[in-house]
Amino acid sequence: MVENKSGNETDAGRSSGSWTAPTGRRTDEWSECLVQVGNSNDRAAFTRFFRHFAPLIKAFALAGSSLSAAHADELVQEVMLKVWQKAGGFNPEKAAASTWIYTIARNCRTDMFRRLQKFDTPLAADDLNIELEGEEPFTVLHTRRGSDRIKDLMGQLPPDQAQILAKVYMEGKSHSEAAAELDLPLGTVKSRVRLAIQKLQVQMDRQ
Amino acid sequence: MTKHHPSNDCLMEHAAGSLPVAQAACVSAHLSYCERCRRTDSQLQTVGGALLERLEPVPVSEALLDTVLARLEDPAPLAYPGQTQAAQLPSLLQRLTNGDFSKLVWKRVTRSLSISYLSTGDTNYEFALYRIAAGGRIPEHTHGGGEMTLVLEGGFSDGRDSYHPGDFIYRDADDTHAPVALDGEDCICLAVLDAPLRFTSWKYRWLNPLQQLNAG
Repeated sequence: MVENKSGNETDAGRSSGSWTAPTGRRTDEWSECLVQVGNSNDRAAFTRFFRHFAPLIKAFALAGSSLSAAHADELVQEVMLKVWQKAGGFNPEKAAASTWIYTIARNCRTDMFRRLQKFDTPLAADDLNIELEGEEPFTVLHTRRGSDRIKDLMGQLPPDQAQILAKVYMEGKSHSEAAAELDLPLGTVKSRVRLAIQKLQVQMDRQ
Repeated sequence: MTKHHPSNDCLMEHAAGSLPVAQAACVSAHLSYCERCRRTDSQLQTVGGALLERLEPVPVSEALLDTVLARLEDPAPLAYPGQTQAAQLPSLLQRLTNGDFSKLVWKRVTRSLSISYLSTGDTNYEFALYRIAAGGRIPEHTHGGGEMTLVLEGGFSDGRDSYHPGDFIYRDADDTHAPVALDGEDCICLAVLDAPLRFTSWKYRWLNPLQQLNAG
Protein backbone atom coordinates (compact mmCIF):
# COMPACT_ATOMS: atom_id res chain seq x y z
CA MET A 1 0.00 0.00 0.00
CA VAL A 2 1.28 3.46 -0.92
CA GLU A 3 1.66 5.88 1.94
CA ASN A 4 0.39 9.39 1.39
CA LYS A 5 3.27 11.64 2.35
CA SER A 6 2.99 14.90 0.46
CA GLY A 7 0.01 17.24 0.38
CA ASN A 8 -0.42 16.72 -3.36
CA GLU A 9 -0.73 13.00 -2.99
CA THR A 10 -3.31 13.33 -0.27
CA ASP A 11 -5.34 15.65 -2.45
CA ALA A 12 -5.14 13.17 -5.28
CA GLY A 13 -6.14 10.38 -2.92
CA ARG A 14 -9.08 12.34 -1.66
CA SER A 15 -10.69 12.61 -5.06
CA SER A 16 -10.84 8.82 -5.18
CA GLY A 17 -13.02 8.75 -2.11
CA SER A 18 -10.84 8.20 0.93
CA TRP A 19 -7.36 8.89 2.04
CA THR A 20 -5.17 8.54 5.06
CA ALA A 21 -3.71 11.77 6.32
CA PRO A 22 -0.02 11.80 7.31
CA THR A 23 -1.09 11.84 10.97
CA GLY A 24 -2.63 8.43 10.43
CA ARG A 25 -6.13 9.82 10.84
CA ARG A 26 -8.77 8.40 8.57
CA THR A 27 -10.60 11.04 6.64
CA ASP A 28 -13.33 10.20 4.22
CA GLU A 29 -16.60 11.93 3.62
CA TRP A 30 -18.74 9.55 5.68
CA SER A 31 -16.39 9.33 8.62
CA GLU A 32 -16.29 13.13 8.75
CA CYS A 33 -20.04 13.19 8.61
CA LEU A 34 -20.29 10.82 11.56
CA VAL A 35 -17.79 12.85 13.56
CA GLN A 36 -19.91 15.97 12.96
CA VAL A 37 -23.04 14.15 14.08
CA GLY A 38 -21.24 12.87 17.16
CA ASN A 39 -19.61 16.17 18.09
CA SER A 40 -22.43 18.61 17.49
CA ASN A 41 -25.67 16.71 16.82
CA ASP A 42 -25.44 18.06 13.29
CA ARG A 43 -28.76 17.24 11.62
CA ALA A 44 -27.61 18.31 8.17
CA ALA A 45 -24.64 15.93 8.36
CA PHE A 46 -26.96 13.21 9.62
CA THR A 47 -29.33 13.81 6.70
CA ARG A 48 -26.46 13.47 4.22
CA PHE A 49 -25.35 10.27 5.92
CA PHE A 50 -28.92 8.95 5.85
CA ARG A 51 -29.34 9.66 2.14
CA HIS A 52 -26.20 7.69 1.37
CA PHE A 53 -26.54 4.77 3.75
CA ALA A 54 -30.30 4.24 4.25
CA PRO A 55 -30.72 2.77 0.73
CA LEU A 56 -27.79 0.42 1.41
CA ILE A 57 -29.24 -0.66 4.75
CA LYS A 58 -32.56 -1.29 3.04
CA ALA A 59 -30.77 -3.43 0.43
CA PHE A 60 -29.05 -5.27 3.29
CA ALA A 61 -32.41 -5.87 4.99
CA LEU A 62 -33.92 -7.25 1.79
CA ALA A 63 -30.91 -9.39 0.83
CA GLY A 64 -31.87 -13.02 0.51
CA SER A 65 -35.51 -11.86 0.91
CA SER A 66 -35.05 -12.30 4.60
CA LEU A 67 -37.35 -9.45 5.65
CA SER A 68 -40.55 -7.94 4.21
CA ALA A 69 -40.45 -4.40 2.78
CA ALA A 70 -42.22 -3.07 5.90
CA HIS A 71 -39.71 -4.74 8.20
CA ALA A 72 -36.88 -3.48 6.01
CA ASP A 73 -38.09 0.10 6.54
CA GLU A 74 -38.36 -0.58 10.26
CA LEU A 75 -34.78 -1.85 10.24
CA VAL A 76 -33.58 1.26 8.39
CA GLN A 77 -35.27 3.37 11.06
CA GLU A 78 -33.73 1.44 13.94
CA VAL A 79 -30.26 1.48 12.42
CA MET A 80 -30.38 5.20 11.66
CA LEU A 81 -31.59 6.06 15.17
CA LYS A 82 -28.69 4.02 16.57
CA VAL A 83 -26.33 5.91 14.26
CA TRP A 84 -27.57 9.16 15.79
CA GLN A 85 -27.31 7.83 19.34
CA LYS A 86 -23.92 6.17 18.95
CA ALA A 87 -22.12 8.61 16.66
CA GLY A 88 -20.39 10.17 19.69
CA GLY A 89 -18.55 6.87 20.20
CA PHE A 90 -17.42 6.57 16.58
CA ASN A 91 -13.65 6.69 16.34
CA PRO A 92 -12.45 7.21 12.77
CA GLU A 93 -9.02 5.91 13.73
CA LYS A 94 -10.42 2.49 14.48
CA ALA A 95 -13.05 1.84 11.88
CA ALA A 96 -14.33 3.08 8.56
CA ALA A 97 -17.85 4.52 8.62
CA SER A 98 -19.08 1.65 6.43
CA THR A 99 -17.70 -0.98 8.82
CA TRP A 100 -19.15 0.84 11.82
CA ILE A 101 -22.63 1.00 10.32
CA TYR A 102 -22.39 -2.56 9.00
CA THR A 103 -21.89 -3.78 12.57
CA ILE A 104 -24.88 -1.78 13.79
CA ALA A 105 -27.05 -3.05 10.93
CA ARG A 106 -25.94 -6.65 11.47
CA ASN A 107 -26.82 -6.47 15.18
CA CYS A 108 -30.18 -4.76 14.59
CA ARG A 109 -31.06 -7.37 11.97
CA THR A 110 -30.13 -10.24 14.31
CA ASP A 111 -32.26 -8.73 17.07
CA MET A 112 -35.13 -8.17 14.66
CA PHE A 113 -35.01 -11.79 13.45
CA ARG A 114 -35.14 -12.95 17.04
CA ARG A 115 -38.00 -10.62 17.85
CA LEU A 116 -39.98 -11.81 14.84
CA GLN A 117 -39.40 -15.43 15.84
CA LYS A 118 -40.44 -14.61 19.42
CA PHE A 119 -37.05 -15.82 20.50
CA ASP A 120 -36.42 -14.47 23.95
CA THR A 121 -32.80 -14.03 24.96
CA PRO A 122 -31.12 -11.99 27.69
CA LEU A 123 -28.29 -11.27 25.23
CA ALA A 124 -28.88 -8.56 22.64
CA ALA A 125 -26.56 -8.76 19.64
CA ASP A 126 -24.87 -5.57 20.86
CA ASP A 127 -23.85 -7.28 24.09
CA LEU A 128 -21.65 -9.63 22.09
CA ASN A 129 -19.65 -6.84 20.49
CA ILE A 130 -16.06 -6.63 21.47
CA GLU A 131 -14.54 -3.28 20.77
CA LEU A 132 -10.92 -2.87 19.81
CA GLU A 133 -10.43 -0.64 22.77
CA GLY A 134 -7.23 0.54 24.35
CA GLU A 135 -5.18 -1.47 21.89
CA GLU A 136 -1.59 -0.46 21.21
CA PRO A 137 -1.36 2.45 18.74
CA PHE A 138 0.67 0.20 16.47
CA THR A 139 -2.09 -2.38 16.47
CA VAL A 140 -4.71 0.23 15.67
CA LEU A 141 -2.64 1.58 12.80
CA HIS A 142 -1.98 -1.91 11.55
CA THR A 143 -5.65 -2.83 11.75
CA ARG A 144 -6.64 0.33 9.94
CA ARG A 145 -4.21 -0.25 7.09
CA GLY A 146 -5.61 -3.76 6.83
CA SER A 147 -9.13 -2.36 6.56
CA ASP A 148 -8.22 0.14 3.88
CA ARG A 149 -6.58 -2.65 1.91
CA ILE A 150 -9.62 -4.90 2.27
CA LYS A 151 -11.88 -2.22 0.83
CA ASP A 152 -9.52 -1.65 -2.10
CA LEU A 153 -9.13 -5.34 -2.85
CA MET A 154 -12.85 -6.16 -2.62
CA GLY A 155 -13.39 -4.76 -6.14
CA GLN A 156 -10.85 -7.19 -7.56
CA LEU A 157 -12.42 -10.42 -6.30
CA PRO A 158 -13.59 -12.89 -8.96
CA PRO A 159 -17.43 -12.89 -9.10
CA ASP A 160 -17.82 -16.46 -7.78
CA GLN A 161 -15.89 -15.55 -4.62
CA ALA A 162 -17.65 -12.21 -4.15
CA GLN A 163 -21.00 -13.97 -4.55
CA ILE A 164 -20.29 -16.37 -1.70
CA LEU A 165 -19.08 -13.61 0.61
CA ALA A 166 -22.28 -11.70 -0.15
CA LYS A 167 -24.37 -14.77 0.73
CA VAL A 168 -22.54 -15.20 4.01
CA TYR A 169 -22.48 -11.55 5.06
CA MET A 170 -25.39 -9.82 3.37
CA GLU A 171 -27.85 -12.70 3.56
CA GLY A 172 -26.53 -14.07 6.84
CA LYS A 173 -26.23 -17.61 5.47
CA SER A 174 -24.01 -20.23 7.04
CA HIS A 175 -21.50 -21.88 4.73
CA SER A 176 -23.67 -24.96 4.42
CA GLU A 177 -26.79 -22.92 3.65
CA ALA A 178 -24.84 -21.03 0.98
CA ALA A 179 -23.70 -24.36 -0.48
CA ALA A 180 -27.28 -25.68 -0.62
CA GLU A 181 -28.62 -22.52 -2.26
CA LEU A 182 -25.91 -22.32 -4.88
CA ASP A 183 -26.06 -26.06 -5.41
CA LEU A 184 -22.35 -26.43 -4.72
CA PRO A 185 -20.47 -28.92 -2.55
CA LEU A 186 -19.69 -27.51 0.90
CA GLY A 187 -15.98 -27.99 0.19
CA THR A 188 -16.22 -25.70 -2.85
CA VAL A 189 -17.93 -22.97 -0.83
CA LYS A 190 -15.32 -23.25 1.88
CA SER A 191 -12.44 -23.10 -0.54
CA ARG A 192 -13.90 -20.05 -2.34
CA VAL A 193 -14.32 -18.32 1.00
CA ARG A 194 -10.74 -19.21 1.87
CA LEU A 195 -9.42 -17.89 -1.45
CA ALA A 196 -11.42 -14.67 -1.10
CA ILE A 197 -10.11 -14.10 2.42
CA GLN A 198 -6.55 -14.69 1.19
CA LYS A 199 -7.00 -12.22 -1.66
CA LEU A 200 -8.41 -9.62 0.73
CA GLN A 201 -5.32 -10.23 2.88
CA VAL A 202 -7.36 -10.70 6.03
CA GLN A 203 -4.91 -11.87 8.61
CA MET A 204 -5.98 -15.29 9.71
CA ASP A 205 -4.41 -18.43 10.87
CA ARG A 206 -3.56 -20.89 8.18
CA GLN A 207 -5.53 -24.02 8.84
CA MET B 1 -1.75 -15.41 25.55
CA THR B 2 -4.32 -17.87 24.36
CA LYS B 3 -3.07 -20.75 22.23
CA HIS B 4 -6.30 -22.29 21.01
CA HIS B 5 -8.68 -20.33 18.84
CA PRO B 6 -11.97 -20.67 16.94
CA SER B 7 -11.59 -21.83 13.31
CA ASN B 8 -11.51 -19.24 10.54
CA ASP B 9 -14.96 -20.36 9.35
CA CYS B 10 -16.31 -19.89 12.83
CA LEU B 11 -14.80 -16.39 13.15
CA MET B 12 -16.30 -15.44 9.81
CA GLU B 13 -19.78 -16.68 10.72
CA HIS B 14 -19.43 -14.72 13.92
CA ALA B 15 -18.51 -11.53 12.05
CA ALA B 16 -21.35 -12.13 9.60
CA GLY B 17 -23.76 -12.50 12.52
CA SER B 18 -24.94 -15.96 11.52
CA LEU B 19 -23.91 -18.00 14.58
CA PRO B 20 -26.67 -19.07 16.96
CA VAL B 21 -26.71 -16.88 20.05
CA ALA B 22 -25.25 -19.51 22.42
CA GLN B 23 -22.27 -20.14 20.12
CA ALA B 24 -21.88 -16.43 19.35
CA ALA B 25 -21.69 -15.75 23.10
CA CYS B 26 -18.93 -18.33 23.51
CA VAL B 27 -16.88 -16.97 20.58
CA SER B 28 -17.42 -13.45 21.84
CA ALA B 29 -16.21 -14.45 25.31
CA HIS B 30 -13.05 -15.87 23.68
CA LEU B 31 -12.53 -12.55 21.86
CA SER B 32 -12.46 -10.73 25.16
CA TYR B 33 -9.36 -12.78 26.04
CA CYS B 34 -7.66 -12.88 22.67
CA GLU B 35 -6.20 -9.87 20.93
CA ARG B 36 -5.28 -11.82 17.83
CA CYS B 37 -8.84 -12.98 17.22
CA ARG B 38 -10.18 -9.49 18.01
CA ARG B 39 -8.01 -8.18 15.23
CA THR B 40 -9.22 -10.83 12.81
CA ASP B 41 -12.81 -10.16 13.87
CA SER B 42 -12.37 -6.47 13.19
CA GLN B 43 -10.99 -7.17 9.71
CA LEU B 44 -13.80 -9.60 9.02
CA GLN B 45 -16.28 -6.89 9.96
CA THR B 46 -14.51 -4.62 7.49
CA VAL B 47 -15.27 -7.23 4.84
CA GLY B 48 -18.93 -6.79 5.83
CA GLY B 49 -18.63 -3.00 5.53
CA ALA B 50 -17.02 -3.28 2.11
CA LEU B 51 -19.78 -5.63 0.92
CA LEU B 52 -22.45 -3.30 2.28
CA GLU B 53 -21.00 -0.45 0.22
CA ARG B 54 -21.25 -2.60 -2.90
CA LEU B 55 -24.93 -3.47 -2.57
CA GLU B 56 -27.34 -2.10 -5.17
CA PRO B 57 -29.10 0.70 -3.21
CA VAL B 58 -32.86 0.30 -2.73
CA PRO B 59 -34.67 3.66 -2.68
CA VAL B 60 -35.97 4.82 0.67
CA SER B 61 -38.92 7.23 0.90
CA GLU B 62 -38.58 10.84 2.08
CA ALA B 63 -41.30 10.03 4.61
CA LEU B 64 -38.95 7.54 6.27
CA LEU B 65 -36.26 10.20 6.59
CA ASP B 66 -38.85 12.56 8.12
CA THR B 67 -39.94 9.88 10.59
CA VAL B 68 -36.36 9.28 11.65
CA LEU B 69 -35.63 13.01 11.95
CA ALA B 70 -38.73 13.42 14.10
CA ARG B 71 -37.58 10.63 16.40
CA LEU B 72 -33.98 11.77 16.89
CA GLU B 73 -34.67 13.22 20.31
CA ASP B 74 -36.41 10.08 21.57
CA PRO B 75 -34.57 8.83 24.62
CA ALA B 76 -32.06 6.12 23.70
CA PRO B 77 -32.89 2.68 25.08
CA LEU B 78 -30.89 1.67 28.11
CA ALA B 79 -27.86 -0.36 27.17
CA TYR B 80 -25.53 -2.45 29.21
CA PRO B 81 -21.99 -1.12 29.16
CA GLY B 82 -20.19 -2.65 26.18
CA GLN B 83 -17.58 -5.31 26.47
CA THR B 84 -14.06 -4.07 26.71
CA GLN B 85 -11.02 -6.22 26.30
CA ALA B 86 -9.48 -8.55 28.82
CA ALA B 87 -11.86 -8.03 31.69
CA GLN B 88 -11.52 -10.44 34.57
CA LEU B 89 -14.57 -12.23 33.25
CA PRO B 90 -16.23 -11.55 29.89
CA SER B 91 -19.00 -9.08 30.70
CA LEU B 92 -21.71 -11.16 29.10
CA LEU B 93 -20.85 -13.97 31.52
CA GLN B 94 -20.62 -11.51 34.34
CA ARG B 95 -24.19 -10.59 33.57
CA LEU B 96 -25.52 -14.11 33.11
CA THR B 97 -23.95 -15.25 36.38
CA ASN B 98 -24.08 -12.04 38.43
CA GLY B 99 -20.32 -12.37 38.51
CA ASP B 100 -20.25 -14.91 41.30
CA PHE B 101 -19.85 -18.56 40.35
CA SER B 102 -20.15 -19.78 43.92
CA LYS B 103 -23.73 -18.50 44.16
CA LEU B 104 -24.89 -20.40 41.07
CA VAL B 105 -26.88 -23.60 41.29
CA TRP B 106 -24.35 -26.38 40.67
CA LYS B 107 -25.58 -29.84 39.79
CA ARG B 108 -23.19 -32.58 40.81
CA VAL B 109 -22.75 -35.14 38.04
CA THR B 110 -19.76 -37.14 39.26
CA ARG B 111 -17.39 -36.72 42.19
CA SER B 112 -15.21 -34.28 40.27
CA LEU B 113 -17.72 -32.70 37.90
CA SER B 114 -20.49 -30.19 38.62
CA ILE B 115 -22.50 -28.33 36.02
CA SER B 116 -24.38 -25.04 36.22
CA TYR B 117 -26.81 -24.31 33.40
CA LEU B 118 -27.17 -20.73 32.21
CA SER B 119 -29.94 -19.40 30.05
CA THR B 120 -29.33 -17.81 26.67
CA GLY B 121 -32.87 -18.37 25.42
CA ASP B 122 -31.47 -20.62 22.69
CA THR B 123 -33.43 -23.87 22.81
CA ASN B 124 -31.07 -25.77 20.53
CA TYR B 125 -27.96 -25.30 22.60
CA GLU B 126 -26.98 -26.03 26.14
CA PHE B 127 -24.92 -23.22 27.61
CA ALA B 128 -23.34 -24.26 30.86
CA LEU B 129 -20.42 -23.84 33.21
CA TYR B 130 -18.49 -27.00 34.02
CA ARG B 131 -16.51 -27.15 37.21
CA ILE B 132 -13.90 -29.92 37.37
CA ALA B 133 -12.24 -30.35 40.75
CA ALA B 134 -8.48 -29.77 40.71
CA GLY B 135 -6.81 -32.89 39.34
CA GLY B 136 -10.21 -34.45 38.70
CA ARG B 137 -11.22 -36.23 35.53
CA ILE B 138 -14.43 -36.08 33.51
CA PRO B 139 -15.15 -39.68 32.52
CA GLU B 140 -14.45 -40.41 28.87
CA HIS B 141 -17.35 -39.11 26.83
CA THR B 142 -18.54 -38.10 23.42
CA HIS B 143 -21.40 -35.94 22.18
CA GLY B 144 -24.12 -36.47 19.65
CA GLY B 145 -23.07 -33.11 18.22
CA GLY B 146 -20.51 -30.36 18.46
CA GLU B 147 -19.06 -28.91 21.63
CA MET B 148 -17.47 -25.51 22.08
CA THR B 149 -15.42 -25.08 25.23
CA LEU B 150 -13.83 -21.94 26.63
CA VAL B 151 -11.57 -22.17 29.68
CA LEU B 152 -12.42 -19.49 32.25
CA GLU B 153 -10.44 -20.52 35.33
CA GLY B 154 -7.77 -23.11 36.04
CA GLY B 155 -6.99 -25.42 33.16
CA PHE B 156 -7.33 -28.94 31.85
CA SER B 157 -5.52 -31.38 29.68
CA ASP B 158 -6.93 -33.98 27.31
CA GLY B 159 -3.83 -35.97 26.50
CA ARG B 160 -3.28 -33.98 23.29
CA ASP B 161 -2.60 -30.61 24.84
CA SER B 162 -3.30 -28.49 27.88
CA TYR B 163 -5.71 -25.58 27.95
CA HIS B 164 -5.70 -22.39 29.99
CA PRO B 165 -8.00 -19.39 30.52
CA GLY B 166 -9.13 -17.92 27.20
CA ASP B 167 -8.38 -21.07 25.20
CA PHE B 168 -11.19 -22.09 22.86
CA ILE B 169 -11.70 -25.71 21.83
CA TYR B 170 -14.19 -27.14 19.36
CA ARG B 171 -14.85 -30.86 19.26
CA ASP B 172 -17.21 -32.49 16.82
CA ALA B 173 -19.59 -35.38 17.28
CA ASP B 174 -17.00 -38.09 16.60
CA ASP B 175 -14.58 -36.90 19.18
CA THR B 176 -14.12 -38.91 22.36
CA HIS B 177 -12.28 -37.24 25.18
CA ALA B 178 -11.63 -37.47 28.90
CA PRO B 179 -10.40 -34.08 30.13
CA VAL B 180 -8.42 -33.93 33.36
CA ALA B 181 -8.27 -30.70 35.36
CA LEU B 182 -4.77 -29.45 36.08
CA ASP B 183 -3.63 -29.73 39.68
CA GLY B 184 -3.83 -26.91 42.14
CA GLU B 185 -7.05 -25.19 41.11
CA ASP B 186 -10.59 -26.15 40.09
CA CYS B 187 -11.13 -25.73 36.39
CA ILE B 188 -14.17 -23.78 35.23
CA CYS B 189 -15.12 -23.91 31.58
CA LEU B 190 -17.96 -22.57 29.52
CA ALA B 191 -19.37 -25.35 27.35
CA VAL B 192 -21.86 -24.94 24.52
CA LEU B 193 -23.40 -28.20 23.32
CA ASP B 194 -25.99 -29.03 20.72
CA ALA B 195 -26.49 -32.56 22.01
CA PRO B 196 -26.11 -34.07 25.47
CA LEU B 197 -22.82 -35.65 26.45
CA ARG B 198 -22.61 -39.44 26.47
CA PHE B 199 -20.23 -41.23 28.74
CA THR B 200 -18.43 -44.00 26.86
CA SER B 201 -16.71 -45.88 29.65
CA TRP B 202 -18.72 -48.79 31.07
CA LYS B 203 -18.36 -47.48 34.60
CA TYR B 204 -20.36 -44.35 33.89
CA ARG B 205 -22.65 -45.44 31.07
CA TRP B 206 -25.50 -45.93 33.49
CA LEU B 207 -25.55 -42.13 33.83
CA ASN B 208 -26.36 -41.64 30.14
CA PRO B 209 -30.14 -41.92 30.34
CA LEU B 210 -29.98 -39.12 32.90
CA GLN B 211 -28.08 -36.80 30.57
CA GLN B 212 -30.31 -34.59 28.55
CA LEU B 213 -29.78 -31.32 26.82
CA ASN B 214 -30.56 -28.50 29.23
CA ALA B 215 -31.03 -25.89 26.57
CA GLY B 216 -32.93 -22.67 26.71
